[in-house]
Amino acid sequence: MHFITGGAFNGKKSWVKKHYQIEGHSHYQWVSAYQQDPLPFDLSTFGKQLLFLEGIEQWIKGLLLEMDMDESRRSWHERLVKWQRWEDKNRLNRIILIGTDISKGIVPLEKTERTWRDVTGWCYQDSAEKAERVDLVWYGINQRIK
Amino acid sequence: MIFITGGVRSGKSNFAEKIATEKSIASNGKLNYIATGLRSDLEMERRIEKHERDRQHSNQFWKTWEQPRNIGKLAENFTASDILLLDCLTTLLNNELFYPDTHPDDRLIDSIIDGIGQLRENCHTLIIVSNEILNEPIQDNELVLTYKKTLGILHQYIVSTANQAFLVESGVPILMKGVTK
Repeated sequence: MHFITGGAFNGKKSWVKKHYQIEGHSHYQWVSAYQQDPLPFDLSTFGKQLLFLEGIEQWIKGLLLEMDMDESRRSWHERLVKWQRWEDKNRLNRIILIGTDISKGIVPLEKTERTWRDVTGWCYQDSAEKAERVDLVWYGINQRIK
Repeated sequence: MIFITGGVRSGKSNFAEKIATEKSIASNGKLNYIATGLRSDLEMERRIEKHERDRQHSNQFWKTWEQPRNIGKLAENFTASDILLLDCLTTLLNNELFYPDTHPDDRLIDSIIDGIGQLRENCHTLIIVSNEILNEPIQDNELVLTYKKTLGILHQYIVSTANQAFLVESGVPILMKGVTK
């Protein structure tokens, strides 16, 4: 598992595409919350070994519409565990998580926005813990932090 | 070209002025400060005055140019040994984006990039100061989203073409790209 984070419009997607050299290939599946793709659970249904899950902060926002903070974090964690098992099944299976950092502004006035920011931060911690590699992308430059 | 960014009151302007001074001693060129802030109200007036005072109290002579938009127009005033400090890109983008009849599109990005290019060609070192504002929850407001997206594109472009890029945290500059001498 590889987790990539960084601010909005910092070139995370471009960096990931370049890093994994996927341009012009079709051996991967790009799943994006920004394209309204639903948050996956069972990854074997995609039938690909290289999976990119983009916009995880948006999926977390979606989880919070259905459940409370603790349940949302648990739901994300359950997925991480399941996804890691999927990776372990075949050494070519790889999952790349991309999430926008939303943690550094002023405290949002709206309670739902505050909740979203908090849960996203926790889920990012859990994702980084499960990942064997974590990169921070800053205007196209990556900094490997794990 | 050197890119310097950081949070509010991170010390990025001080660091930029220090770098500019060092460069001007090395190049034997003049120090030029390109101020993009509009004197729109008393608070801005005071901020500008504080910055001016700070620069006057340094041992170097700074020439200040107030250019809230179309920075490329200043290019003809400089020579190959001059040091230019542009402070800051976020205010410039603000002024460009909210200028009457401006449509936020690729042409706006291109014209700002062109302006940067014109300045860069007519000086020894161009130092651009900007802000870190892209790490907070994205508001649903269309205009704010456009502003952030445009700033992100500009930052990526500037970093990719800069010789050095720094992120300043609590007064400590972190070199993100390039080498220090």
